[in-house]
Amino acid sequence: MSKLARRAWFAYFLAAAMLVGVIVIVVRYAVGAPDWVPFQSDGMILDRSGTVLLDKTDGRSELADSPAVRAAMIHILGDTQGYISPYLLNEYGDEMSGYDRITGTRHADGSYGKMQLTVSAYAQEAAVNAFAGQKGTIGVYNYKTGEILCMVSSPNYDPRNMPDVEADPDTYEGVFVNRFLHSAYAPGSTFKLVTAAAALEEIDGIEDRVFHCEGSAVIGEEVVICNAVHGDIGFNDALCKSCNVAFAQIAQELGAKKLSEYADRFGIAESLSFDGFRTQKGNFDLSGATVFEAAWAGVGQYTDQINPCQYMTFMGAIANGGEAALPYLVESVRFGGEEQYHVERQTGGRILDRQTADELAEMMHYNVVNNYGEWYFSGLYAGAKSGTAERGEGQTPNALLAGFVQSEDYPLAFVVIVEGGGAGSAACTPIIRQVLDACIVAMNS
Amino acid sequence: MFLQTINAFFHAEGREIAQVFCTVWSFLAPALGVLILWWCVKPLLRFRREPETWAWLVMPDGQQLPVTHWENIIGRSKGCDIIVNLSTVSRNHAVLTRYDDGSWSLTDIGSRGAVSVNGKQVEVCALRYGDVISLGGVEMVLAPTTAEEVEEQKYYRTKPAAMASPGLTLFLLTLFQLLTALQFWMSSKPEEVVNSVAGVLAVCALSWLLFLILKIMRRSSFEVETLAFFLSTLGLAVIASSDAGSIPKQLVCIAGGIFIYLLLGWSLRDLSRAKRFRYVAAVAGLALLAANLVLGREINGAKNWIAVGSMSFQPSELVKLCFIYVGASTMDRIVTKRNLFSFILYSGAICGCLALMNDFGTALIFFVALVVICLMRGGSFSAVSLLATLAVCAALLLLVIDIPPHVMRRFSTWGHAWDDPLGGGYDQVKAMTCIASGGLFGLGAGNGMFTYYVMAADTDYVFAFVCEEWGLIVGLLPILAIIVLGVFVARSASVGRSSFYTIGACAAVAIMMTQTILNVFGTMDLLPMTGVTFPFLSNGGSSMLSSWGLLAFIKAADTRQDASFAVRTARSEEVEPYE
Repeated sequence: MSKLARRAWFAYFLAAAMLVGVIVIVVRYAVGAPDWVPFQSDGMILDRSGTVLLDKTDGRSELADSPAVRAAMIHILGDTQGYISPYLLNEYGDEMSGYDRITGTRHADGSYGKMQLTVSAYAQEAAVNAFAGQKGTIGVYNYKTGEILCMVSSPNYDPRNMPDVEADPDTYEGVFVNRFLHSAYAPGSTFKLVTAAAALEEIDGIEDRVFHCEGSAVIGEEVVICNAVHGDIGFNDALCKSCNVAFAQIAQELGAKKLSEYADRFGIAESLSFDGFRTQKGNFDLSGATVFEAAWAGVGQYTDQINPCQYMTFMGAIANGGEAALPYLVESVRFGGEEQYHVERQTGGRILDRQTADELAEMMHYNVVNNYGEWYFSGLYAGAKSGTAERGEGQTPNALLAGFVQSEDYPLAFVVIVEGGGAGSAACTPIIRQVLDACIVAMNS
Repeated sequence: MFLQTINAFFHAEGREIAQVFCTVWSFLAPALGVLILWWCVKPLLRFRREPETWAWLVMPDGQQLPVTHWENIIGRSKGCDIIVNLSTVSRNHAVLTRYDDGSWSLTDIGSRGAVSVNGKQVEVCALRYGDVISLGGVEMVLAPTTAEEVEEQKYYRTKPAAMASPGLTLFLLTLFQLLTALQFWMSSKPEEVVNSVAGVLAVCALSWLLFLILKIMRRSSFEVETLAFFLSTLGLAVIASSDAGSIPKQLVCIAGGIFIYLLLGWSLRDLSRAKRFRYVAAVAGLALLAANLVLGREINGAKNWIAVGSMSFQPSELVKLCFIYVGASTMDRIVTKRNLFSFILYSGAICGCLALMNDFGTALIFFVALVVICLMRGGSFSAVSLLATLAVCAALLLLVIDIPPHVMRRFSTWGHAWDDPLGGGYDQVKAMTCIASGGLFGLGAGNGMFTYYVMAADTDYVFAFVCEEWGLIVGLLPILAIIVLGVFVARSASVGRSSFYTIGACAAVAIMMTQTILNVFGTMDLLPMTGVTFPFLSNGGSSMLSSWGLLAFIKAADTRQDASFAVRTARSEEVEPYE
């Protein structure tokens, strides 16, 4: 019996294991409970001008009145069927439900949470209409404050009338993905801005250099093809005309190491995190690249990828003298009468010298004046760079446009991507025109 | 009807009264729960467990060795209960057994030097006080304890601190049940109010019924039963909120569980009866599983259900009880039949059936019980760990060959629930979400959302259910209650009367603890979800029956005077009251 009694000690071990488990549970609760609370109780979400985007008070469960706004918001608010994760609502679930660890989400007084977003329902609607069913994405943000005024990923759908997505896989390709935050695109020529910025800082007298383009050039052992025969061409015009030969030579001169350094500094391959979202990383990897491949990467080809949201902040930095605010979506959350959360605006830190940034901004403005016309940008002082990214045999390339508006009242940076939009800026400029106009209206109101 | 009229009042004019009551009750319930647990726990963890002396062995040199158990191994080795360190005595020489009626027997357990009583060599022999025992030539005499010693021991066993006043714990429990019923009366949906209120009151009535039955049997302790009823009450409140229609079924099963508890208690009361029961249990266990295999149907990937009419029933739950019964054994048998071969063969048959049923969680429970029984029955550590390793390998091999998809899914998301909150981690994420929503005091019984999110909310994830509606404090109490049972059994083992009781209690409590661990830690994503029930708490009739059965084994190990089935009140003519 005494041996038996000793062996009964196993029960103490099991009891100790359970006790440890209980302690782990309590600690996890104490530390993590607010993060576990999603938005599931009463609450209301408003756009920057007070338009209701979501109303779950008094037993209602309403979305925005406009079907286009509802469609534009699915990638931000998520859907209720579980196809699109409501990252934002999960992140602020505890603030929205006035959560605290002691009383949980119990509230006797019928209070509810109210979240104010930075986006404009008006601009969102304009973006959905401007895309008119094309696939792609657009984002516009205030690079001085970080407020995202517009963020739309297309295709999308009205969650009140969800289409049969599986029946039409072509139209609804990747419909549940927020392309602006959670995808990466080949940048095409928009990437020449990275190379140009590096050249401005690293190569003395680059502004006065003259390149010669015969439509193609041999770099390393391979041939770089240009979009045209540009002849003798200066740095400024090389960007304006998007001369591959000139930029391949500049990239070759900078070398893989310097190019990678600048891509790193601009955060091309890094994620941004805000409001529960974490952006997809871009890619700029020249490890093991040949001389040609490094130069080819410098014109935005090779394995380059950018995330639209991250690249938008790069545009903001160019426009804002080398340092831009980081983007965000949630201005504040109130519960009952109490402010639970208010954004702390942050900047991404200085990534360019003021002089370099200003020079590059001016070059981009030159581009707008000579290529697209300022009227596409609400008549404001704007800079932009377009890109065309091949998608493979038999597919129309993606059209990209990245840029900014430099204005005291409307400091906006943007990225527009139209999948299969074809060459250059043609597909993007009408969209940015409508959306910028809408953003300006929203900022005025 | 009266219940509904009042309920309607609280939904209309009396709404504010109901709200105030529910708020007050949400703070009062944890306090009351903690008190109930505290009053039950104190005596269970603090009872005196110094060895009692049942007789003396007088050695040739006049030295008196105390006989401190009902089953004692006499021998030379250090592990023996009575150590006679003389070279002619074998390492394990004989077993000295005391019976319920105070009689003794001596069994030779394969000694070299043989055993003789009053000069006659014996294998097994009844002993009387004064008989001369010879172990390998060493002579000793069995001498009774004096009346003073008996009285002293009885005094210590029944010392006031050793047992909580059962009336007080039952009163607290009743208060808890009445207030819970009142809350349902106010806040239940009109169509469910009758079931909910009557259900909780019925559990209350069952508590008193069992209390009275035990009182009539002159059993005076009610702690483990109070814990079981506390958990059963919480479980019923969970069902009232998730599936009020199945309350009658659950009540029938609680009553059935109490019946099984009493039946097992009766069978365990007399060890010779218990030994006969073993054979019945062995056959019943296999028969149940065989019936399961033939008649069973698959629910949620595991084929461990039998449908009887509109009810479905999980035979493997009852097999747990049979398994323990077969595994428990008295000391003379353990020592004479050293090998565990037949028991392991039996276990193999059981586990084989479970494997065919694809029920991973239950197989794991049986495996733990098997290891514990082998360990308790004196298997060497190396043998037991070898067994464990073999079984784990076999299980892994089985898994690799044919991983049931529902098991695979649970393993692949284990520890990463939050990475896939809409997919594989959905249940656990929702569980944690609801636990957080409840805070420390809960949203109130019937106000939770968890049951709308997760299918097995009131069984596999019942911990989260209780936390959401009753708060984290009340949610942790059932876990603490099971921990207390575990510590109680471990403490009792050192003064255990018979290895039969100790092994039974250890196996039973190991099953309860393992189920609790798998259930709670699976919910919290600390372990993979295995889909086993929380004893007494989860919605499920078969589980309720087996939980009460397991409790009978635990109760049987209670050695306090008048507390358990096994330790009887001494008849009044035997002992005079102690001053």
